[in-house]
Amino acid sequence: MKIIDTHTHFPGHAFGMKPKKGAQLREEFKAEGFHGAWIMTTDGLLSDPARHNNLLYEGVRNDLDFFTPFCTVNPHDGAARAVKELERCAGLLSMKGLKLHSWLQSFSLSHPAVEPILRRASELGLPVLLHDGTPPYSTPLQIASVAERVPGTTVILGHSWLDDLWEDAILAANRHRNIFLCLCSLSAGAIREIIRRVPPERLLFGSDSGFGPGLGKAAIAKIRGAGASARTRKLIFSGNAMRLLKNESGK
Amino acid sequence: MKGSVNFPIIDSAVRFRSGGGAFKVMEWLKEAKTWGIVHSVAAPPDEFVAVYNERGNELMAGVVKRYPRRFSGLAVANPWYGKKAVTLLRKAFDAGLSGLYLHPGRQGFHLTESIVNPLVRVCLEYGKPVYSYTGTPVCCMPFQLAELARRFPRVSFVLGHFAWSDFCGYDVIPACKQAPNIYIETSCATGGMVRAALDALGPERILFGSGYPRSLPEHEFEKIRPLKLPDDVLRRYFTENAKRLWQVPL
Repeated sequence: MKIIDTHTHFPGHAFGMKPKKGAQLREEFKAEGFHGAWIMTTDGLLSDPARHNNLLYEGVRNDLDFFTPFCTVNPHDGAARAVKELERCAGLLSMKGLKLHSWLQSFSLSHPAVEPILRRASELGLPVLLHDGTPPYSTPLQIASVAERVPGTTVILGHSWLDDLWEDAILAANRHRNIFLCLCSLSAGAIREIIRRVPPERLLFGSDSGFGPGLGKAAIAKIRGAGASARTRKLIFSGNAMRLLKNESGK
Repeated sequence: MKGSVNFPIIDSAVRFRSGGGAFKVMEWLKEAKTWGIVHSVAAPPDEFVAVYNERGNELMAGVVKRYPRRFSGLAVANPWYGKKAVTLLRKAFDAGLSGLYLHPGRQGFHLTESIVNPLVRVCLEYGKPVYSYTGTPVCCMPFQLAELARRFPRVSFVLGHFAWSDFCGYDVIPACKQAPNIYIETSCATGGMVRAALDALGPERILFGSGYPRSLPEHEFEKIRPLKLPDDVLRRYFTENAKRLWQVPL
């Protein structure tokens, strides 16, 4: 079954990671069992988004048949500057999505720049994957409140709120049709409940790969062990990712 | 790891699911058999943890009495019940339960609040460990457990679920260095974090837990396999540390 990981990280220097070239990372991800990966900067979430958007693009530009790069912007730069960087990434760098990380980037979802950034992402056809699961700035209902104001934007909860508030993630996804849940780094029991209670068309596979070996295989095993039908597994592993990017390959 | 270790596996993190006012014991026994878990340290479901403490302890004592070689049972007593909670806990230990299970998020208190002290004193008196669910801000974070553990250095504490998810990669190991009487139960966290704990704290302070039903045994075994831990470490992790801590009759 085709597997596209929608939540991976391009290793830089943060969190004890070591920089890798795209080709090497591609081989590692293939060994995990992936056929493609949405990939996001890590260091760029901590400083200088534009520089790290460039580094990500340079790192994977020869492997765009495997990697789908997502850019990042920082709301603290202000809406105008952040939107300008978003437009640059979508145009010049052919980035296919936006990653925001309200914990590492230290902004509230109610920051005035967030809504215009998300609106522009929608106009550019970019899904937005947000880190969630770390209070106080990234709870499901905080993200849902923004998603409600930008119903045309695809909003992905990058971790389905990890473990403490996955019940809230279910509520958010069932209330707002533009919210998707990425089943990344959750415990297996929570994944099983989410699959049971959320429409399968709104679930994505993710593993946080890039942080270390084995994460992909473990994440795949959690989905396979969740008791989902073959159709649901297919949607989670690749079908929904391909649909969101509106092309056949999902890459 | 099933089939690849030749010593008994003790699971230090099982919560029974509830149904019809009772525990779904057989459901877990079937799962345990599948994965070769010979002994489980079990706690009651949420409603018994938060409110129906006495009934939860009675049911748990019944399980342990019926399956003494398969289960050690944890007692529940919500600190907000005050003296009644102390009485409940003594009664539960007298009935054969093996430790105190705290879930600050469900029971509505902070680990640093003094209302929990009388219950820990009972554990000290009986020589029983305290297992706490950890990882949920603002009530059960690693340094809060360390603070409690430093307050009671002769009581053993178990940091449940490795404080997954927000704190496991950062606070757990420094917190455990503050208080040598803390054990880490490793369910939910990644294999890499187990490795980091072993490197930082040694093999004596980690406990295998399936985290059922929050996590599942399959995943918890699979994350350990790539670590390629030597047999003496695996034996401590899967068997010896838990056997000693919970006084498991194996």
